[in-house]
Amino acid sequence: MADKPQESSAPRSPRATRAAPPRGPSPEWEGRDIETAGVREDRDVEPRGGRATAAGASPGIVEQFASAVLGGALLSIGLGRRSLGGAALALAGGGLLFRSFGGQGHGPILEEPRFDTDRGPYEPEVVAGPRVLERSITIQKPASELYRAWRLAENLTKVMGHFADVTTAGPDVQHWRVQGPLGRSLEWDSHIVEEHPGEFLRWESLKGADVPNDGWVRFRPAPGDWGTVVTLRFRFDPPGGVIGDAVVKLLGAVPDTLASKALRRFKSLVETGEIPTTVPNPAARGGGHSY
Amino acid sequence: MRALCWNGINDLRVETVADPGIVNPHDVILRVTMSTTCGSDLHFIDGYIPTMREGDVIGHEFMGEVVDVGRDVKKVKKGDRVVVPSFICCGNCWYCQHDLYSLCDNTNPKAELQEPLLGYPTAGIYGYTHAFGGYAGAHAQYVRVPHADTDCFLVPEGLKDEQVIFLSDAVPTGYMGADFCNIHPGDTVAVWGCGGVGLMAMKSAFLLGAGRVIGIDRFPERLRMAREKVGAETIDYSRVDSVLDMLKELTGGRGPDACIDAVGMEAHGTGAEYAYDRAKQALHLHSDRGEALRQAIRACRKGGTLSILGVYGVMDKFPIGVIMNKGLTVRTAQQHGQKYLPLLLEHVAKGQLDPSFLATHRFSLEDAPRGYEMFKKKQDGCVRAVFLPN
Ligand SMILES: NC(=O)c1ccc[n+]([C@@H]2O[C@H](COP(=O)([O-])OP(=O)(O)OC[C@H]3O[C@@H](n4cnc5c(N)ncnc54)[C@H](O)[C@@H]3O)[C@@H](O)[C@H]2O)c1
Ligand SMILES: [Zn+2]
Ligand SMILES: [Zn+2]
Repeated sequence: MADKPQESSAPRSPRATRAAPPRGPSPEWEGRDIETAGVREDRDVEPRGGRATAAGASPGIVEQFASAVLGGALLSIGLGRRSLGGAALALAGGGLLFRSFGGQGHGPILEEPRFDTDRGPYEPEVVAGPRVLERSITIQKPASELYRAWRLAENLTKVMGHFADVTTAGPDVQHWRVQGPLGRSLEWDSHIVEEHPGEFLRWESLKGADVPNDGWVRFRPAPGDWGTVVTLRFRFDPPGGVIGDAVVKLLGAVPDTLASKALRRFKSLVETGEIPTTVPNPAARGGGHSY
Repeated sequence: MRALCWNGINDLRVETVADPGIVNPHDVILRVTMSTTCGSDLHFIDGYIPTMREGDVIGHEFMGEVVDVGRDVKKVKKGDRVVVPSFICCGNCWYCQHDLYSLCDNTNPKAELQEPLLGYPTAGIYGYTHAFGGYAGAHAQYVRVPHADTDCFLVPEGLKDEQVIFLSDAVPTGYMGADFCNIHPGDTVAVWGCGGVGLMAMKSAFLLGAGRVIGIDRFPERLRMAREKVGAETIDYSRVDSVLDMLKELTGGRGPDACIDAVGMEAHGTGAEYAYDRAKQALHLHSDRGEALRQAIRACRKGGTLSILGVYGVMDKFPIGVIMNKGLTVRTAQQHGQKYLPLLLEHVAKGQLDPSFLATHRFSLEDAPRGYEMFKKKQDGCVRAVFLPN
């Protein structure tokens, strides 16, 4: 994929191959400075129309949640592994979400999402919904440079390497292949549907995807000498019914830490030219190697 | 190659493992000429720090000769004789750029293991648990060193390995601890723990202008080193009724201007609090025995500085109210070695600093388990055991 020149900041016209009809710029994209993020509280508390909602979300949560945002906390947006069959309340604006503990009470998630086991007996009662993973990271580089780096196919392949084999399938089309359990894999093509060079990029899976999904990445200036805040969001929307259940099982391969790990890998790659790894690593197991 | 591997609590063995190779473009491979024990290793050998895995190669304080060089390494060359700080640092992130090297953002491939506890991951360390990256350690014939241009420091000609090896960890840690104390000429600095780290903190306090340095421990040979090699006054805490009273009397009733904790989570003690800590730690109800740290907090003069070098977990019974009411400044970190090494190498080259006296015992790599045993039990006056892996 070619490195996109920077001159035009106007949204590019959608590709002819796109599956969905063209839309206006997504609400996530705004040419704002990160410093205005503190004003987000009223946007963050409104449930996004049409999204599945958690049963019994109390208004107090929303306040807690907003104060966590204002407190500058990094929010974990993952839903538990089984929450593909679980419920989520998506909050508008930055796409902030919190996870439902169906009946257990709610709270802002300020750490990595927990694993399946702590969902306990409540899990089966909740309604199917999309799984959203969103995280931010701060990187010591200007936004324009980061945007260009993100657009390089070879970088995307490296950055997503912990999760999927991403290969180029045409201009601005990537093929994603996620290894699931029992040798089965999930595959889809995704294409760019919105771009604002230096600031925002959004993609969607094409028709025929095993799991319909979309995502975006946003670059905004950080305060002081911190560089740029990069926010990455994935949304996986498995189909319903019997097929949906099978996909949900397969999607167990999507780690809760997908967004944070991808961002971390991207940061290391652009700041240092490599992604830290201990593969392979000498050890007295695994035939002398381990990691 | 041969390497010293952790196999469980108090179970170290020398085993044959695969040789390391260049993995990332900024890596080099060192042939390890000398490596040494550190008090930090004892914490996981004794089982107080989690995320070790059976078969892990341990060791984080080392030096050696460069034998292989990654494609993007610019300064370091094959054949260079280098010393390497124990933390792996990228040199490019905000933290490295601000001299806060052990907080590097880009060298912990297992960040997700640290995040739940710390909130944010730190730099990786060689041979020091998977939460700190799971990198193979340096008690081995060879070790892979990532980000070589930031992390390898050329050893000036004419210096012996023993003079340089401790610049990997004990010396920069001690120096940083003294640097934290914001020493004014003539200040009195008290240091708990006369191990390698504490002794180097005492020496550094003098280098930074302290008028008096007081070392506290109970092992006669370590206290003697503090007096004879560093020029400190000493207190044997097992032979006095109250360390606090002693320090008060030695400082005209004011207390030391700065107190450095170079003991850590396995502090030994004599009083009721020690018994409480010991019981809880044995039951794994909490991970720390904080006797020395609590003593340092009480002894420090009002408005003084508390510099914490000892490694701790998540301690309970921590007297934050004492710190608050006395207006103490608390400084602490894992060592930012890359910040201090150029200066420290210069001190050694000019003869202002010679840490070689710490190397009380030498072993081949094959005898490393015995070396750790002696170091841990402080047998035969062992302060640091050094290993010769090749
Ligand atoms: N911050 C860092 O980057 C860093 C680096 C290296 C080591 N460390 C830590 O520093 C500490 C010391 O390391 P070391 O290698 O010198 O260890 P060491 O085991 O050689 O020495 C510790 C000394 O503390 C003494 N001690 C125990 N209880 C005491 C008490 N109540 N009062 C006074 N002294 C007491 C022991 O007798 C011993 O001599 C350890 O916790 C280690 O993990 C930190
Ligand atoms: Zn150490
Ligand atoms: Zn760094």
